[in-house]
Amino acid sequence: MSQYQNSSNRATHDINHSRFLVDGRGLSKVFGTLTAVSPLDIAIKAGERVALVGPSGSGKSTILYILAGLIPPDSGDLFLDSKSTVGLQPGRELSESVGLIRQQLDLVPQLPVVQNVLAGRLGKWGLLRSLVSLFSARERDSVLATLSKLGIADKIDEPTSQLSGGEQQRVAIARLMLQAPKIILADEPVSSLDPARADEILRLLTGLADDIGGVMVASLHAPDLIREHFTRVIGLREGVLQFDIPSEELMPSVLEALYDLDQQPIPIS
Amino acid sequence: MTWTNSPFRSLDARRLLSLVLIGAFVWSLSSVDWRGGIVHTGGGDALKDFPLALFPPELSPGFLKLGLIASWQTVVHAVAGITLAIIIGLPLGIIASGSLGKPGRVRMLVAAVMRFILAFMRSIHELIWAVLFVAAFGLSSLAAVLAIAIPYAGILGRIYSELLNDVSEGPLDGLRSAGASPAGVLIYGRMPMVLTDLLSYGFYRFECAIRAAAIMSFVGIRGLGFEIQLSLHDLKFAEVWTLLLFLFGLVLLVDYWSTSVRRSLNS
Amino acid sequence: MTTDNSKLVEATRGLRGITFPRVSLYGFLVLSVVSWAYIIFGVDSGLGDLFTGRSWSNAGHFFSQLLGLEGGLTGGGRPAFFDLGRWGETGKLAYKTLMMSVLAIGLAGFGVLVTFLPAARNVSNGELGGSPSLALGVLYHVLRLFFAFTRAVPELIWAMVIVFFLSPGILPGAIALGLHNYGIVGKLSAEVVENMDPGPARALRSAGAGNIQMLAYGIIPQAMPHFLTYLLYRWEVVIRTTVVVGFVSAGGLGQEFRLNLSFFQYTDVFLIILWYLILVLAVDLLSAFLRRMVLVR
Repeated sequence: MSQYQNSSNRATHDINHSRFLVDGRGLSKVFGTLTAVSPLDIAIKAGERVALVGPSGSGKSTILYILAGLIPPDSGDLFLDSKSTVGLQPGRELSESVGLIRQQLDLVPQLPVVQNVLAGRLGKWGLLRSLVSLFSARERDSVLATLSKLGIADKIDEPTSQLSGGEQQRVAIARLMLQAPKIILADEPVSSLDPARADEILRLLTGLADDIGGVMVASLHAPDLIREHFTRVIGLREGVLQFDIPSEELMPSVLEALYDLDQQPIPIS
Repeated sequence: MTWTNSPFRSLDARRLLSLVLIGAFVWSLSSVDWRGGIVHTGGGDALKDFPLALFPPELSPGFLKLGLIASWQTVVHAVAGITLAIIIGLPLGIIASGSLGKPGRVRMLVAAVMRFILAFMRSIHELIWAVLFVAAFGLSSLAAVLAIAIPYAGILGRIYSELLNDVSEGPLDGLRSAGASPAGVLIYGRMPMVLTDLLSYGFYRFECAIRAAAIMSFVGIRGLGFEIQLSLHDLKFAEVWTLLLFLFGLVLLVDYWSTSVRRSLNS
Repeated sequence: MTTDNSKLVEATRGLRGITFPRVSLYGFLVLSVVSWAYIIFGVDSGLGDLFTGRSWSNAGHFFSQLLGLEGGLTGGGRPAFFDLGRWGETGKLAYKTLMMSVLAIGLAGFGVLVTFLPAARNVSNGELGGSPSLALGVLYHVLRLFFAFTRAVPELIWAMVIVFFLSPGILPGAIALGLHNYGIVGKLSAEVVENMDPGPARALRSAGAGNIQMLAYGIIPQAMPHFLTYLLYRWEVVIRTTVVVGFVSAGGLGQEFRLNLSFFQYTDVFLIILWYLILVLAVDLLSAFLRRMVLVR
């Protein structure tokens, strides 16, 4: 195991943790008899872009859902933007700090694009405003501005179900842009995309994180994309941390070993 | 862009439709005669007494026995009706599916005519059939059974013809290349392939037939509906509740049976 | 060919050996034999009459009277369906009948709209947000029971009960039809919510939506097209039943049908059946057109 991992385990936490936008200590989750995440420490500074890698079932998604507040961890403490998240339900408070985009996008297909984008504002809007907006969209100008940045301004009034996969992805990103959370989480954002599209989507997401001065944490598999768009790589296997290295140190042999079914030792220097 | 493909239209259309439906509902309220008051003389008391009569319903052994007998009579008519409906509906459905006889214009024409006949049979509500049959033949159980069987045969026939048409052609081609006639293809190919679906749908309709049999009371057939009518006329609301609960239980039972059968057939 | 045969075998698999469907099938066959015996040998079977010929000639008379071929004519000895005035008079009743069906669907739809969410298990147990509470759990079971009960009692029996309270007219009939269809559409709509993809709702939640916002943005837009489609389908069934409910609730064509029948004005009866078929056809076409507009993707 790497010394890098050890350093993130111990040394950092006794210092003032407010330097970290994400600061989780001893997070764990067990589903029935399956250990999804063994006690894990994870600390991420503003400006960092972290890639989670590992075979399926390695606990990547579970970690992202824990960070998003969608799954309560069995043990451990989680500070997001220096605020403890103990007992916080996903919703208003959490949505200012953290936003999640999943591979499935999770848009409401029957709503027009503008409403799906405006859903990013629901955490800031009152009830009345959000109900009125369903019939006559509020803040339409900012939606239009966001969509033009993404090149799909002309789709603003179309039913979301009629858009192509790539267009829907932009709608989901536009929603995230309106939500503007400090911590952007992405669960397999580029799987099943061709390389050019994957590159573009990651550029959009990291650009968004940079604009806000926040962090991005994403799970993905392609080493070249990781080296280009991320600063740090965390490798996981069966819920256990394998390595935590700067992305330029990610060698193909490392990934091969991580994904190897026979669980060979990982050649980390 | 065509009407169905245009996204702008389809969203606007949905909103428009909601408005039209709400408008139609409000419009329909205007055709209610509100002047005379909606509750009639003495209705207010009944409105109060009726829900209270549920606590408790009539539970004397004699009345429970009557409820059981009435349930049995309802079941009998429903079962006879649905079996006759299957017996009539299956051949009509086979003809309507156009899978018998030589391919060609005649077969298509016969199938189209049969589909029209089936549509007519199911267009007329079972109780109207009952009223007509009773007027024609006089009051009898057979008239009620026939009245249930005809519209249900219309429904079953249509579904059966669709099921028979939807089977995959692969196995049928196998039979055809082995020299089977259309009748042979039907008996050895189509029928076995859809048999479980035919039964499954028949069972599904059985639950509806229970309700149909219960309202045959209206033309004078004995059963749960008949007893409910009598108890209502005597203003014995507690008895009405008991009978309604019998009907509820009966429908639940048949529903449970038919769901279990269909589930294990389709699993 | 082997795979083709296996398909055949597959299709009849459920009926081999001692399986539940097989036992049920035999049970049903026994039940139907007993039922037919009960009816044929029962006191009022009417089977005997079928062979006397007298009842057949009665039936013949009845149907030829229906078509105006003999006797029983009103007015100037013309069948009612050749009388434009009668078409107009019954047309008004047909309009009332149509209004009754719209009112019934409207009432059922309104009732479902306010109750289907707590009747969905994943809403009541907080899976789609909110926190589960005893009250919500009880409400779920009460609503499901109410759906099942209103569904189990046929429209006509609801009508018989309701005319005890309400003045005759189209309202009691519409309420009776509405109650029965409330139970049917309510159950279906609650099931739509239960089978819904939880992803969008969860995404809205993590975007900061509260419970009501999540319902408004995530769940209702997804359920709405299904709900409207069910209502339109039920409207097609309701228009067929409206006439029957009119027998007891004294509204529209149903009442006229009964009156004409008891006064032996058979050509008028036939005219009403014609109107009834026109209504059924018109509603089927209209509903199909409207359903295409809401088309669930």
